[in-house]
Amino acid sequence: MYLSVNWIKDWVKLPKDLTPKQLANDLTMSTVEVEEVIDQADSLKGIVVGKIKEITKHPKADRLQVCSVSLGDREEQIVCGGVNLTTGMLVAVATIGSRVRWHGEGDWVTLEQVKIRGVQSVGMIAAASEIGLTNLFPVKSEKDILDLSKFNLKVGENLASALGLDDFIIDIDNKSINHRPDLWGQYGLAREIAAIYRTKLKDYVVSNISLKDEVKLKVSVRDKEKCFRYLGLVIKNIKIQASPWWLQTRLQAVGIRPINNIVDVTNFVMYELGQPMHAFDAKQVDKNQIEIKTAKKGEKFISLDGTKRKLSEDYLMIADSKKYIALAGIMGGQNSEINSDTTDIILESANFKAANVRRTSTALGLRSESSTRFEKSLDPELAEQAIKKASELILEISKESYVASKLIDVNNNPFETINLKVEEKLINDRFGVDVPQKDIQDILTRLQFEVKYKAGIFDIKVPSFRATKDISIPEDIVEEVARIYGYDNIQAILPKVSIQSPIIDVALKASRDIRYWLSQAHSYSEVYTYPFTNIAWAEKLGFDTKDFIKVTNSFTPELQYLNLSLLPNLLTKAEENLRFFDQINIFELDRVFDKSANSIYAVSHGKKKYLPLQDKYLTGVSVVNLSAQEAFLQTKGLLENLQDYLGIDWTLEATELSYSKLAYVIKHQDVVLGHYGLLNKELLDSGTKSVQTTWWEFNFSVLVKYLNRNKVYQSISKFPSIIRDVAILIDEDVQWTDLSVEIYKLSNIIVSVEPFDVFMGKGVPAGQKSLAFHVELRSPEKTLESEDADVLVKEITGVLKKKFKAVQR
Amino acid sequence: MEIKLKSLKNRIIKELDEVKDAKFVADLKTKYLGRKGELATILKGLKDLTIEEKPRIGQLANEVKKELVVLFDRAEKLWHGQADEGVDFDPTLPGNRKDKGHLNPSTIVQYEIEDAFSKMGFTVYDGPQLESDYYNFTALNIPEDHPARDTQDTFWVEGKNLLRTHTSNLQIRMLEKHGAPFRGIFPGRVFRYEATDASHDHTFYQLEGLMIDKDINIGNLIATMKTLLSSVFQTDVDVRLRPGFFPFVEPGFEMDIKCLICDGDGCSVCKQSGWLELMPCGMVHPKVLEATGVDPKEYSGFAFGLGLTRMTMMKYRIDDIRLLQSGDLRFLNQF
Repeated sequence: MYLSVNWIKDWVKLPKDLTPKQLANDLTMSTVEVEEVIDQADSLKGIVVGKIKEITKHPKADRLQVCSVSLGDREEQIVCGGVNLTTGMLVAVATIGSRVRWHGEGDWVTLEQVKIRGVQSVGMIAAASEIGLTNLFPVKSEKDILDLSKFNLKVGENLASALGLDDFIIDIDNKSINHRPDLWGQYGLAREIAAIYRTKLKDYVVSNISLKDEVKLKVSVRDKEKCFRYLGLVIKNIKIQASPWWLQTRLQAVGIRPINNIVDVTNFVMYELGQPMHAFDAKQVDKNQIEIKTAKKGEKFISLDGTKRKLSEDYLMIADSKKYIALAGIMGGQNSEINSDTTDIILESANFKAANVRRTSTALGLRSESSTRFEKSLDPELAEQAIKKASELILEISKESYVASKLIDVNNNPFETINLKVEEKLINDRFGVDVPQKDIQDILTRLQFEVKYKAGIFDIKVPSFRATKDISIPEDIVEEVARIYGYDNIQAILPKVSIQSPIIDVALKASRDIRYWLSQAHSYSEVYTYPFTNIAWAEKLGFDTKDFIKVTNSFTPELQYLNLSLLPNLLTKAEENLRFFDQINIFELDRVFDKSANSIYAVSHGKKKYLPLQDKYLTGVSVVNLSAQEAFLQTKGLLENLQDYLGIDWTLEATELSYSKLAYVIKHQDVVLGHYGLLNKELLDSGTKSVQTTWWEFNFSVLVKYLNRNKVYQSISKFPSIIRDVAILIDEDVQWTDLSVEIYKLSNIIVSVEPFDVFMGKGVPAGQKSLAFHVELRSPEKTLESEDADVLVKEITGVLKKKFKAVQR
Repeated sequence: MEIKLKSLKNRIIKELDEVKDAKFVADLKTKYLGRKGELATILKGLKDLTIEEKPRIGQLANEVKKELVVLFDRAEKLWHGQADEGVDFDPTLPGNRKDKGHLNPSTIVQYEIEDAFSKMGFTVYDGPQLESDYYNFTALNIPEDHPARDTQDTFWVEGKNLLRTHTSNLQIRMLEKHGAPFRGIFPGRVFRYEATDASHDHTFYQLEGLMIDKDINIGNLIATMKTLLSSVFQTDVDVRLRPGFFPFVEPGFEMDIKCLICDGDGCSVCKQSGWLELMPCGMVHPKVLEATGVDPKEYSGFAFGLGLTRMTMMKYRIDDIRLLQSGDLRFLNQF
């Protein structure tokens, strides 16, 4: 939304020396967020009014002419290709150093003095497109330069001030006025500005128009729930033409392209009051009958942008006795559009239900200046001011025209007058400091609230333009006072509350610990991925998309399915990183979404319906340039370390997964905590690199239930241990687990059995492996003698021979 | 025998003085103190002594033995490792580092901020990312057809649920659960269905905070935020409030922080304004309190929303938001 500083000066006298920048800043601090301040004259800097004195042919170019141009204080020679040049013509001259766009295209360039085919050219006689004025001067032919002869201009004057294009525009962030239906027009903004500077605001004056009863306009509102007010009248004998210059520059200032006097007037009123209007060509409206009713499903309508639109039963339409002529509050129809032959119009100024306009325009994907305003809940009072103002302007601009009907007004305004009783104490309590009662009253009055004060209570009548949804509770009044009084006047004082130590959540603490542990104690880096699954990888891992929660309004494949596992995205990231790294260890800790089960989160308070399960998962992927055994054991080692770190008692159980040649379930008793495995090699595209990929994942939300961080000290043994090494030859299929279990069974003085060398190949018979391991022995009761160890080693080799046919080496 | 012992001791002391390396010490030790060493030989003579002499000489022998053991210990310690004397490598070579992983910078910043809030008694809470319309919008005073919904383009998911567009859903959930008084923060992942570019991503992080107690006012909000932000930025910061509209607060504000780069003088970072937009905040709307069963007549409070992703980008001067979730180790390895 643009605020034109020149425009608001119609009603407010701004403080002397107030710069547009300061105004923007003050608005930001009290009312709305300003995006930028635009100096309208800036782009026309160095462009002046010139008068062509003499035209001669260019000696070397047929299509060029050499002009002598008066710039008031001097004359310059300028080469020009314009075909409409005449002596005495007033033109726009871009002087050296000004900015232009060649042929109205490309970037703005700074004009330099040049020789054009041998002839000096000091400046340029500009076409409208070359100085950015096509909105005001539609280009008929590309070769035409801008002819300003119809204006009464002083030669040598700056073009911007000569044409009244020296406004300052304040660009207001629309988001910051979503809740303020009154700020969608210049007058509403002027009201705010007057309150901020405590200066007088002129009333918005509309004169009474003289009406006739020559044409019977009939308005029937069939749906009072959706149309709160409808005003209409007929104006006849209009001549469609360009608007007067003052009107065009006003529209230009707020970014609207002037079209013709009727459309321009409706736009002008919309930008001045915030009330959208529409003008129908009366000859296209059957029997001057207007009906406001909802559409039927499946009906069609062509809006004035030429698009054929499918209607639905909730859409509110404007119709005549036979057909639809507008989408209420959104856009008119092609069938009744104003064109150059229009002589009679029906002027509409209405108020439609915000929610319905919003829903319809969203459904149609059609946003207009009109719908943007209606969906904010406009004040139905505005409609009357607007139609009177617009009629007044049309009669003034198109001299022959007259109002040929009565002013029809079907008023079902549902908004009631809001009276609020606000305690002075509430304002001061929320503020934190006492605001003088006189100031409160003054501020509210300037914002056009009616205020009475008695015994600590303000009795406030909310003006209609703030009463449609904006102001409804005493807290709203607190804001009104506070923002104008100035947030700078608030004293920052720390709250007086009791000391309270935060509650430490076990799961959050554990997630923090594990993140640090994995990244700082181990070489895993923390990756964040999106909640949307990479489907290609999900399918490779055997997931079925129908198990995923689907995003219903997204049609891009990357944003369609919510993660059911973090693994597909982590593998994607691992694969991407392989281009730059040979070894990748990454992990992620976040939620996944599972529609097959319920979470603890209810969909609304007290309801027994729950959101889908969204447990947190802790998942890691490791891609290394190692053998499968090394890669697998490295990850297994990490998990063993993790088990120690978390103090969880878990066991591993082999399982089968289509994508992993080796996979295990990690369980605490019967509860599945997670999985890990060695990924099938062909699944990961590693380019020319030979790598092995391992993965692991825990349901973190389940895992944290079994955390045991309560360690208990075990007294250090008084007796030393003895370590013996044993080397055997054994069948290659014998697994370490089976073998070590047998060893441990032998005696309780065996503290640990750890392999340190496994070898197959040269020197070892086929089908066998050489295995060497340490055995650590310690008695809780005495210092073991060497002989005790000898005996036990013999027992070990004995049992290995008996059970596994192992031979001691 | 007494003489033998004393002369042995002197001899050993002398020889240890001339020792050049650890091996020589070991040899001497074997020679004199070993099982078949000279001391042992001498001590064998104890049995031939008279009963009168035995205790005295025996004691002497023990003392000598003790002394010798001490001497050898000292010599061994002195000469241990001596064979490796001299540096035959290049110490300027880089050290052997252990591979180390890296945290996502957003995590680092989140934890720093959590710690600052924790010290002021704010508890960290966590909640669902897939949320219902009720908790994400309706209970926050954003009914259906409210234009504020437009500013938060939403990913809708099957079951008429959505991906939360802000961490404000936890204002409702936590107040419902814990009631007033309340002091908590909710860091987390949020989603907006927007086109992505260097400064927009559809997935990003916020840190929402809520404080409800008796007699909480706007001045308290400013002071609390000033204290917290000073702790987060490790320097005294200045803040200001200006109007901002969010349906779940009334009044609502945007809080700006005086530009830390130029100290308010105006620079390119703050677009010459001297202030940086930092967070939306406001006094909790009575309807929000009512929706959660807290009596707005008794309690008031403030809520605020820090852009965690934006803070991370500011802190590390990251110029492309998408890097944070790129998983690119060339980026992550810098943190």
